[in-house]
Amino acid sequence: MAQITLKQIGHSYSGGTRPGDYALCPLDMTWHDGRTYALLGPSGCGKTTMLNIVSGIVTPSQGRVWFDQRDVTGLPTARRNIAQVFQFPVIYGSKTVYQNLAFPLVCRKWASDRIRRKVGEIADLLDLGAKLGKPARGLTADEKQLISLGRGLVREDVSAVLMDEPLTVIDPQMKFHLRRKLKEINDRFKLTLVYVTHDQDEAMTFASEILVMSGGRVVQSGPPEHLFEFPQTTYVGYFIGSPAMNFLDAEGQGDRAVFAGIPLTTAYPGDRVPQGAIRIGVRPEYLEFVATAGENVLAAMVVDVQDHGGVRIVEVEVGGARVKVKLAREKPVPEGPALLRLPPGKIRLYRDGELVPLD
Amino acid sequence: MPGLYRTLKYAAVLLWSAFVVAPLLWALTTSFKTINGVTGGATYIPWLDYKPSLEGWRELFNTSGTGVNIGQPFIDSAIVTLGASAISLVLGTLAAYGLSRFTYRAGFIRNRDIVFFFISQRIMPPIVLAIPFFLMLKFLGLLDSIPGLILVYIALLLPIAVWVMVDFFNNVPREIDEMAMLDGCTPIGAFIRVVLPNSLPGVVVAGLFCIIFGWNDFFFAFTLTFTRTQLLPVAIVALNSTVTPWWSLSASSLISVAPLVVVAFLVEKFLSRGTLAGAIR
Ligand SMILES: Nc1ncnc2c1ncn2[C@@H]1O[C@H](COP(=O)(O)OP(=O)(O)OP(=O)(O)O)[C@@H](O)[C@H]1O
Ligand SMILES: [Mg+2]
Repeated sequence: MAQITLKQIGHSYSGGTRPGDYALCPLDMTWHDGRTYALLGPSGCGKTTMLNIVSGIVTPSQGRVWFDQRDVTGLPTARRNIAQVFQFPVIYGSKTVYQNLAFPLVCRKWASDRIRRKVGEIADLLDLGAKLGKPARGLTADEKQLISLGRGLVREDVSAVLMDEPLTVIDPQMKFHLRRKLKEINDRFKLTLVYVTHDQDEAMTFASEILVMSGGRVVQSGPPEHLFEFPQTTYVGYFIGSPAMNFLDAEGQGDRAVFAGIPLTTAYPGDRVPQGAIRIGVRPEYLEFVATAGENVLAAMVVDVQDHGGVRIVEVEVGGARVKVKLAREKPVPEGPALLRLPPGKIRLYRDGELVPLD
Repeated sequence: MPGLYRTLKYAAVLLWSAFVVAPLLWALTTSFKTINGVTGGATYIPWLDYKPSLEGWRELFNTSGTGVNIGQPFIDSAIVTLGASAISLVLGTLAAYGLSRFTYRAGFIRNRDIVFFFISQRIMPPIVLAIPFFLMLKFLGLLDSIPGLILVYIALLLPIAVWVMVDFFNNVPREIDEMAMLDGCTPIGAFIRVVLPNSLPGVVVAGLFCIIFGWNDFFFAFTLTFTRTQLLPVAIVALNSTVTPWWSLSASSLISVAPLVVVAFLVEKFLSRGTLAGAIR
C-alpha cells in the first residue's frame, strides 16, 4: 500500500479553464497508507473523476499525482498497480471465474502453480471457491462485484483499492452481507481504501475519514464525528446526518442569536456571534422536549410523527419554521403544543452558509 | 387459447419455411431433369413424372476441354472471398476499435464523420466505381487476377466490417478496457486479451456479412476479369447459351448457395445467443 498525494490536481473534460469548466477543481489531498476514506457527494460532483485520476484512467488537465515518494502522473494505468471496483460489476464475460481472478497475475507472467495457489486463497476468502470453474457471466451481481474486488486482491501489494459505489446494483439483503465482507477484508489487509458512495451509512461503516464533495470541490473532510458535530457549511449539515441538520433563520444581536424574537444562548464567546442575518444549525438528535419553560426553550407545535423503528422523527413547527426532532423510542412523544429546548452547546451558527468558528 | 396460439405459430412457421424451401427444392428437382423434363410442362416427382438424370451435374465438371468446369471458379471465388473477408475483418476490427474508443479530430471532421465516410462507400452505385477500379487495377497490372479482385473486394467489404464492429464496440462498456488496464494490460493488450474475446459474436456477424457480400458479388467479378480468372457467379452466367440449360444452371446455383448455408449453420449459435449481455452487469 502507498500514501497517495494529489498536488494541485484539477480536471476539466472540455479542456476549458474557466471555473465552470472544471469537473474537479484544483485541490491538494493526501490519503495515508492503510487508512480508509469515504468520498461522499451528490451525482456529478467529481468523485469518479478523482478516482480515475488516481488510477490513471483519466489524465488530469493539471497537477501531479504521487504514490509515496514517486511521481506517477505520467505512468500508464497498468503500471500504477491500483485495484478499482466500478459501480457496475465488470467481469470478463468470455472467461471463467478462475480466469477472471487469475488475469492480473497472468498479465504479470506469474508461474501457473503460484497463480493457482494465490487465486485459490483469495477465492476462499471471497467464498467463490466452489464457483471457480463456472463461466463468470452467469454469476449474480454481488458475486461479480466480489470478482472485481478479487482481481485487485490477488495482486501483491496494490498501491490502493478504489471503490466507486460498489454496492449500487446489489440487492438490499446482499448489500448488508457484502458490506460486512468488505469491512472484514479491509480490517484484515489494512488497505489504503477510498470508497465512493452516495450513502452516508455506508461511508460511516468504512471510513476513518469522510470527504464531502460538491461541485468539483472537497467541501469538508475529517472523521465522521467531526463532520457530524461541526459541519463546515450548511451543505454538509444537510448532507451528513439523517434526518439532515435543522437550520433556522435568525439574527445576531450582541452575544445572542435571536430566533423568532427570542434571544438564545450559545456556546459561542460573546464577541464571536456575528451581527445581523445568520442561521442557527442544530441536529435533530440534540433537540429535546421539556416540561417547563426556561433558557433556550421555545413554544412549539407537533405536526407529524414518523416511526422509524428504533427512533421516532417528530416534526414540529416553531416560530414559523419546521424542525425535526429525533427521539429514542422509549422517550414520550408530546401531542399538540410542546416545549422544545435547544441545548446551547449544540447550537452552531452559520453566516452566508459557512460555519462561524467556535474558538 | 395457448393451444390455438401454438397452432397458429407453427402454421406461420411452416408457411414461411415452405416459402423459403420451395425454390430450393424446385432447383434441386430441376437439376436432375433433362430437356424433356423441363420443356414438356411442369413435372414434380422423379421416376414418375420424369426420368432423373445426372446430365446437369456432369456438365458442370466437364474436364474434357469442350464444356465448362466450375471447379476452378469455385476455388477462386473461395480464395477471393475468404482472403478479402479475412483482411477486411482484421483491418475493420482495428479501425472500429480506434473509432469507438479514441477521439479523432481533423478540422471539422469527427469520429462520426469518419464512420459515415466508410459507410458512404457503399451508398454509391457500383457502376460509378467500375471505371476507377478498372483503371487502378490496370495501372497496378492486376486486372483479371486474384490479387486484384481481393484488393477490390477489400474496398467493398471493409466498410461493412467497420460499420458492424463500431456499433458493436460502442456497446461494449469502456469499463472493460479500463479494468483490463487496471489489471496490468497495455491498451493494445486490453483490446486483444479482453475486448476482442468479448466481442467474438460481433466479429462473427461482421465476417458473415463479408462472406455473403463477397461470395455473391457478380458486378465486379464480371467487369474486372476477362479470360484468366473467373469467379463462380460469372461462371454460372457463362453456362447460359441459346438453349437455356436449366438443369445445369439449377445444379450450379445449388453449388453456389451451399457454402453460405454451411456457414449459416456454423455461426447460428453466435447469432441467436445474447452473448453481449453477460459482458457487464
Ligand atoms: N468522460 C466525460 N466527458 C465529459 N464530461 C464528463 C465525463 N465524465 C464525467 N463528466 C462530467 O464531469 C462531472 C463529474 O463527473 P463524475 O463522474 O466525476 O461525477 P460523480 O461524482 O462520480 O457522479 P456520480 O455520483 O453520478 O457517479 C459531471 O458533471 C460529468 O457530467
Ligand atoms: Mg461516479
